[in-house]
Amino acid sequence: MNANTHLSGNRLGDPALATAGRIPALLRARINRQTACSMVTCVHCGECAQSCHYALARPHDPFMSPAYKADQIRKIFNRHLDWLGRVFPRWVGAGGKTEETDLSRLKDIVFGTCSGCRRCTFNCPMGVDNAALIRLARGILMEVGVVPQGMSNVCRNQWEMGNQMRVTEEDFIDSLSWVRDEVQYELGVNDVEIGVDKEDCDFIYAVNPREVKYDPRSLINAAKFFYLAGESWTLPRHGWDQTNFGLFSGDDRLGAFMAGNLYQAAARLRAKRIVVSECGHGYRSVRWEGYNWAKHNQTIPTESVIETIIRYLREGMIKVDRSRYRASVTFHDSCNVARYSGLVEEPRWILKQICSDFREMHPNGMNNFCCTGGSGLLVMPEYRDIRLEVAKIKAEQLKTTGADVVCTMCHNCRDGLGDLISHYQLDMKVVQIMDLVAGALILPEKQGS
Amino acid sequence: MNEFLGIIQHKLHMAVLAFMGIAYVLRIIWLLNFSAARERTLPAGQPAGVVVSSLLAVAKPWTREGSNRNPVFYVQFVLFHLGAAAAISLTYFIPYRPELLKYGLFMRTLQITLGAAFVVGLLRLYRRLAEPSLRMISTPDDYFALIMMTAFYAAALGAISVNSLMMGNGPLWAFFLMAAFFHFYVPFSKIIHYLYYPFTRYYLGKTMGHRNIGNGKISGLS
Repeated sequence: MNANTHLSGNRLGDPALATAGRIPALLRARINRQTACSMVTCVHCGECAQSCHYALARPHDPFMSPAYKADQIRKIFNRHLDWLGRVFPRWVGAGGKTEETDLSRLKDIVFGTCSGCRRCTFNCPMGVDNAALIRLARGILMEVGVVPQGMSNVCRNQWEMGNQMRVTEEDFIDSLSWVRDEVQYELGVNDVEIGVDKEDCDFIYAVNPREVKYDPRSLINAAKFFYLAGESWTLPRHGWDQTNFGLFSGDDRLGAFMAGNLYQAAARLRAKRIVVSECGHGYRSVRWEGYNWAKHNQTIPTESVIETIIRYLREGMIKVDRSRYRASVTFHDSCNVARYSGLVEEPRWILKQICSDFREMHPNGMNNFCCTGGSGLLVMPEYRDIRLEVAKIKAEQLKTTGADVVCTMCHNCRDGLGDLISHYQLDMKVVQIMDLVAGALILPEKQGS
Repeated sequence: MNEFLGIIQHKLHMAVLAFMGIAYVLRIIWLLNFSAARERTLPAGQPAGVVVSSLLAVAKPWTREGSNRNPVFYVQFVLFHLGAAAAISLTYFIPYRPELLKYGLFMRTLQITLGAAFVVGLLRLYRRLAEPSLRMISTPDDYFALIMMTAFYAAALGAISVNSLMMGNGPLWAFFLMAAFFHFYVPFSKIIHYLYYPFTRYYLGKTMGHRNIGNGKISGLS
């Protein structure tokens, strides 16, 4: 017996095999009836490929079909949880032994070739939720540590710091102080208050860390509207990050931790409502998934700031001048907002109050195409080339509108669209709804003027 | 020989139907053993109507992009499934209501439906073999189920056509033996999808309704 023989045959243990061996148990622990239904109902009709921007942009590539991607986790389900797959694995397309599962390849499929947009779900005659299956696979890979580095980094930031950009408490307080000064300057007043951990407010406001760290314009706009509307509001000292990489990574525990921070803050401060700034996945996480992950029964209303602005406009708490904005504007529906959360008409209602030239892109609403930066793809640079390649579908959609400006209500979409606009050299600017509302805002007469 | 036909028409048919029923019950029990995710959020919409709409989705091709882009594919889907309904109905009509097959219009309708379903089956088989993305996801069961259904339509067409022409019982044996095998095999194949369809659609519709997805109206502030 030579040394090589002695080392072969897993006698010393192969980490890759040991990792793969954990997959069935993790799948068994995580699957629920809804995802089990999606596992067993697919008939491989291929209709999902008609709606996926990856498959449409790469029609020559059979690996891009949503059914194929979902089959990668379905095979493991069939092999280990369905007795038919255990008895006749090859006949029903169940996978081989788990130890043979190529986790690296599975990682590239579920993290790199699906943005979880759910377009295929609503175009599936059977109602198979491929996006849920992809997220399930992501969560299992996350558990065994086979995950893109960028995704892992952001998740770690959220676990360690309670926010995805490692903003310290001092930086947070400092930024808010700067935002307050800026709002006071722009409004010409000196009584703006941006409370932190203020109790018994009408609402607690949760933001995307980029509003604190890189781009405070959204927060400035929000603070301005809240001041003009006479709101009593606060940000929590802990739990202010509404983003949630538990959603993208499939890690429900991280999802519960991040959303739970906010829910606990709202309870601790006795807030009457939770308002979430413009962010697609953040809104979905806080409004819907977070309560379920955190096993926290929702007791207070939770809304997007867009819904708050609608109320202000309807009740005349803020006023806008529709004639001010002359550029042509189109609207991009965030997948997490439209297909997962049902807000389709709300942003349009606001845009129609503030834009004189609003143009729909087609398809739109629930049928809109993803910005191609969804599901955390923007933090996974290894998949950038294919992301931008398949973005040609979105680029064509944008170009056809002939609009000067594309508006969205999601920070992630803003970056995703910005990236593809630059790549495809489109003559178009990306803004968010709050930017447009701020531009059209009629300010009251400044004090003493 | 007629005794043999009687056995496969009645006893064997009932036996495989009973087997299929038991297998269906076991599959549903297995599926329901997975615990359903609990919704802890306050609703933004009314699920009931959306659940019904979701269950009827298969009859609303205009709601799906694939069917809008390729309506012919949807027509094929309808014909294929009408063929299934016609062939399965014949396993009852021939032994229990043979007088119905004497009505010319009824007979012609069945023949046309089964013939069209057979052609669609062949087209679907060609598509599955010719399209790389479909070939990639197809399992042996996908091919076998499709071939079996197509052959079942042909056997059903043969059974009623030959029956009307009084050309012997061979096609009837073939049809009923195929029907028996079909009923036996369904619980083990993808053809069982119709059993799962209501569950999958119910849960999707329930989520959509709860979240006010696709309502087209501004939700009440929640």
